[in-house]
Formats: sequence, structure tokens, C-alpha cells
Amino acid sequence: MISIKITGTIINYYIHCKRQCWLFGNRINLEDNSEDVRIGKILHEIKSQESKSSEISIDNIKIDKITGEYLVELKKSDADLNSTKWQVLLYLKKLKEKGIIRKGKIEVIEKKKQDKKIHYVELTQEYEEELDKLLLDIEKFLSSEKPPIAERSSKCKKCAYYEYCNI
Amino acid sequence: MVFVISKTKYITSMGELKRKDNSIVFRNEKGNTYIPIEGIREIVCLNEIKINTKFLDYISRFGVVLHFFNYYGQYSGTFYPKENLISGKIKVKQVQAYLDENKRLNICKSIVNGIAINIHETLYHYYKHGNKDIKDILDWLRKEVPILLEKEINIKRILFIEGLVWQRFYSIFNKILKEEFVFNKRVKRPPDNPLNALISFGNSVIYSKTITQIYGTHLDQSISYLHEPSEGRFSLSLDISEVFKPVIVFKTIFDCVNNRKIQVDKHFNKKLNYCLLNDEGRNIFITELEKRLNSVFVHKGLNRKTTYLNAIKLDGYKLIKYLVEDKKFVPFSLKEMY
Repeated sequence: MISIKITGTIINYYIHCKRQCWLFGNRINLEDNSEDVRIGKILHEIKSQESKSSEISIDNIKIDKITGEYLVELKKSDADLNSTKWQVLLYLKKLKEKGIIRKGKIEVIEKKKQDKKIHYVELTQEYEEELDKLLLDIEKFLSSEKPPIAERSSKCKKCAYYEYCNI
Repeated sequence: MVFVISKTKYITSMGELKRKDNSIVFRNEKGNTYIPIEGIREIVCLNEIKINTKFLDYISRFGVVLHFFNYYGQYSGTFYPKENLISGKIKVKQVQAYLDENKRLNICKSIVNGIAINIHETLYHYYKHGNKDIKDILDWLRKEVPILLEKEINIKRILFIEGLVWQRFYSIFNKILKEEFVFNKRVKRPPDNPLNALISFGNSVIYSKTITQIYGTHLDQSISYLHEPSEGRFSLSLDISEVFKPVIVFKTIFDCVNNRKIQVDKHFNKKLNYCLLNDEGRNIFITELEKRLNSVFVHKGLNRKTTYLNAIKLDGYKLIKYLVEDKKFVPFSLKEMY
């Protein structure tokens, strides 16, 4: 069984940036004034209104959209698809535990790095094992006393934690 | 009259604040002024304002903070919306740091040293432009204060040094200010002359600004270090705002006084012995304070442009970083621009 604590956002952040994950996981979730986040939220709202099935909450995870075949995750951009992939894998596993078998579909609204807008991911045996290990790692990581030291990189520029990390 | 600067709305005339559909409306005998909710973070009421709970409920949904000042320009309180950023971890660490003598002293020493640095930078301008009378105090601030603070001292001693820093700062006002603003000594409640009135009002404004900035962090407003966390006061705001007083309040006062933007016979209330700004004086002073708060500089740590107003919030972040990650707390320095 997966620990109840770890959400899609947390696993996404863990892949994207460990420091961001620690801060967020320890409830130091800074106010985000960035325009990108605002656009992301609005896109989310518009898309979930279009599809009749709106956002679904299961345990502590929130799923954007679910169809007969797919679980759909909507993203503003494909800047970090790998993080999103693990987020989707977590959802697929949660669903599987409830007896709901789906495949994962990531819909990107603005493509930047890839030339397609739709990406597929399936929960294989290997992924499942990897995911179990990952979740254990994250739990241990979140309970550490301090976050890892900030390392500035290009992805930091638009992060809500930029000011906090660099102050 | 409603005037709008950055994300702060100042309401200077009598009237009523209401929610109207999805907007705020200020209503008085002159009519309605609409204030779109998206663009604002705080509303400062400087006159008698009627409000109702429907309005309070609405602004708290948007995290808008409401400050009240009385007729005499004294701060009377804040409507603080439901907290949206709550972190148990930070609250615990904040308390731990208060109880840990070493940590508390570190924070307090940093703040007092920060005040000295920023006063030094503020006064250095006058020295550079030929005022050699103030060399003694400049040297004292730069050399002696850090030595005094380096010693193993307790909180009382730190507070004494802080008092000394302000006192020596006030003592040279007559050397840098226009004659009509003669200043004998700092008198607070109520201020007894025009300069004291400016200082009191300016300090209250920066205090309320700091409350709003801290609202944007996880810090608990009531747990403070230099000031005792006394009940019912947002004493952390007093701590954090301290180093910004020279930078924002006093620089603005010196500018207003020496450039005759504010004059004793024009901008103060004669009936009250010139101890109270009149409407025009208050509006000029607020406009100048806001201009300074919203002016932009390149922040050394961030390597980004930011405003002095945001620098107040960044000092909140620095404190969090000290509490959570043990990174030395160094408040905003006008010298380092950090």
C-alpha cells in the first residue's frame, strides 16, 4: 500500500527538484504570484468545464479527467514531462488498487520541447516496482530535518521558491 | 477620496466600504468609487469608514488585509483575514528560536546592527554633501556599534544599544533638517511637534505594510524576538519593520522637509499646535512613502530587480531560512542591497 501522504504534486516535485519537494512536502508552500501558475490554473478550469467529468478526488490525489480507457493529466507545457510521467504513474497505481485499470495520457497545451501534444504512459510491472521504491525514498526524504541546499539552474527562474532559495 | 498606489488603497475621506457584485465599492456623498479586488493586497482606512461582515467575508476570500488609523493618524488595528499559509513546522521553529537564548540573541543583534547600517547609509548622503558635523555619529555607527553587539550580552543590553542608536540618530536631526522643523526630542503618544507627527505616522504606515508582507509568509505575527511577544500585538512586524524605518520613513521625511514638499504652515493643523498633518500634508507624505516603497533596485542575492516593499517580505523569508535551515539572518542592508 502506498502511504497516504504522498500526492501527485509531491512525486512530481521530487523528480523535478528535491528542494522544492521538501519545502512543499513540509507545508512551506509559498504564495505564488507567477503568471504561469495563474495561466495553468485557468487552463485547468476551462478544460475541466469542457469535459463533463470534472476533477475527481480519490484519497488524497486529484485526477483531472478519466475516460473509459484513459486517465488524463493536463499540463500547460511539456517543460518537464518526466516529472509528469511519475505523477501519472502514481495515479494509475492508486486507481489499480481500487480495481480501476487505465492507461495514462498526458495532454500538453503548449508544446515546447516535444513536437506532439499527447503523450502516453502505461503502468508496467517494472514501473510499479520502481514506483514503490520511489515512494519509500520520498517518505524518508521528507522526514529529514532540513531541505537540501539550493542549486541554481535555469529551471529555477520561474519557480515560486526562487526568492526563498536565493535569499 | 480614494487613492490608489500599487496594491494599496488609501481611503482618506468618510464613507462606506461595501461589496458590490464581484467588486468593492467605496460610497460617500460624492458617489461611488469601484475598486477591483484583483489588483489589491491591502486597504488603509485613514478616516471614519463603515463596513459590514459581507464585505469582510469577501475581502478575506482574496486575502486582502484591512488597516485602520484613527483621526490622529495613529494606527488602531488590522482586519487580518483567515490565514492561508499555515505551517506547523515553522510555528514550532519560531517558538523554539524564541526560547533558545542563543538564537534569539543572534536575531536581535542582526536587527540592531541592521538599523545601524541603514542609518549610517542614510546619513552618509549628508556627509558626502559637505555636512562634516555628523562624522562622529557616522564613525560610531560603523565602528563602535558592531563591537558593542559582538560582546556576550543579554537582550536588555541589546535593547539598550538599540535605544542609543535611535537616540543618537535623532540628536543630529537639527544638523540636517530645515530650521522650521526644530526637533527637541522624540515624543510618541501623542506627537508634540510636526516632525514627531511625521515620524509617528510614517512608522505606523511601515508597521502596517509589514503586517501585510508577513501575511504573505508562514510566519506567526505574534512571535517576535527583539520586541517581547505581547498579547494582541503583531510584534513580529515591529521587529521586521525596524531596519526599514531609516530606509523608507526617514529618507522620505528628510526629502519632504528639505525639499519643502511638506511645510509646517501649509501641511499641519494649526489648531492642534501643528502636531497633526492635515489632509493635504498626509496625502503628500503617503504618496512619497509609497513612491519609495515601490521604487526598484537590483537585489544582490536574487540578482533580480525588486521593490523595497518586497524586500520586507524577503526579510520574512530570511527569517524562515534561519529558523528552518540555520542560514544566518541578515536583515535588509541599504549598503549591500541585500
